[in-house]
Amino acid sequence: MFKELDPILHSQLRLAVMSLLISVKEADFTFIREKTNATAGNLSVQVQKLKEAGYIEVVKEFKDNYPNTTCHITPVGIKAFEEYVKALQEYLKVGQPKQ
Amino acid sequence: MTLFFKDVKRNNMQHDEEPLSERQSLELIAQMINKAKCDYQDTGVSTLLWGGVISFCSIVNFLGFEMHITGIENVWVLTIPAVVAQVYISIQERKRKKFKGHEDSIMGGIWMSFGISMFLLSFYTGKFTVPSPNAIFLIVYGVPTFAVGFSLRFTPMVIGGLACWVFAVATMYTPFPYSILYSAGAAQLAWFIPGLILRRRYLKAKRGNV
Repeated sequence: MFKELDPILHSQLRLAVMSLLISVKEADFTFIREKTNATAGNLSVQVQKLKEAGYIEVVKEFKDNYPNTTCHITPVGIKAFEEYVKALQEYLKVGQPKQ
Repeated sequence: MTLFFKDVKRNNMQHDEEPLSERQSLELIAQMINKAKCDYQDTGVSTLLWGGVISFCSIVNFLGFEMHITGIENVWVLTIPAVVAQVYISIQERKRKKFKGHEDSIMGGIWMSFGISMFLLSFYTGKFTVPSPNAIFLIVYGVPTFAVGFSLRFTPMVIGGLACWVFAVATMYTPFPYSILYSAGAAQLAWFIPGLILRRRYLKAKRGNV
């Protein structure tokens, strides 16, 4: 029986954000926006969804007198991401023709 | 796969609810991890700076002894402005960086402890007469170089660290002032050459990200 893919992660932009955040300790909002090519508005919405799910933490602070938003993945997010990748691999394993 | 990424670019990830296939998901994960990795490149500036300064001071020190120029050993004072430059470079790089890597604090800790050790060692060798002080410096040079190279799996620095220790042993059996040249060799292998490689990689990654 296949595990259902996490609907929070199974979305283009949210998955891109999580994949970036899993590779670094923390990242600025602008860095995520540059890498995903997303608009600030759309990215804000998706970041908020990930935050509500407890997958990431968002810290808003001032850096050199300018507002700066940084995001980092939480242990819950890491676990969810690992399970998502594991589930994807299971799907792909079955989809491959047997040799 | 290419078609998918073209789609991603065209849509600028606006239509978030577009269904993803399992393969596309995995490809997207790999692509994003790779993008982050490309940005996680050392600029190589600090390594080049120290490789250059230590090589220069060692060679000038050696030439001074060979040509009987008194006071030439004071060339090592150049390391003080190099420390100032290093602090400035570190602050600028931190400001410019839009993310923090997992290894950042570990690397910072390693290099900071090395800096403090070097300062104390300079003080110690200045205050007491130590036989073959260059060998001690070379042993200490090897520690952060090998540790950083080993943990980041960066072979040129692993080789550089090992070279420092080999030169340290060689220094013990080489008469002064020729032993100073080993410091120049160590600085080249441990920092200058790895710095050039890092710089080339950084510029290549930067061009690729434009």
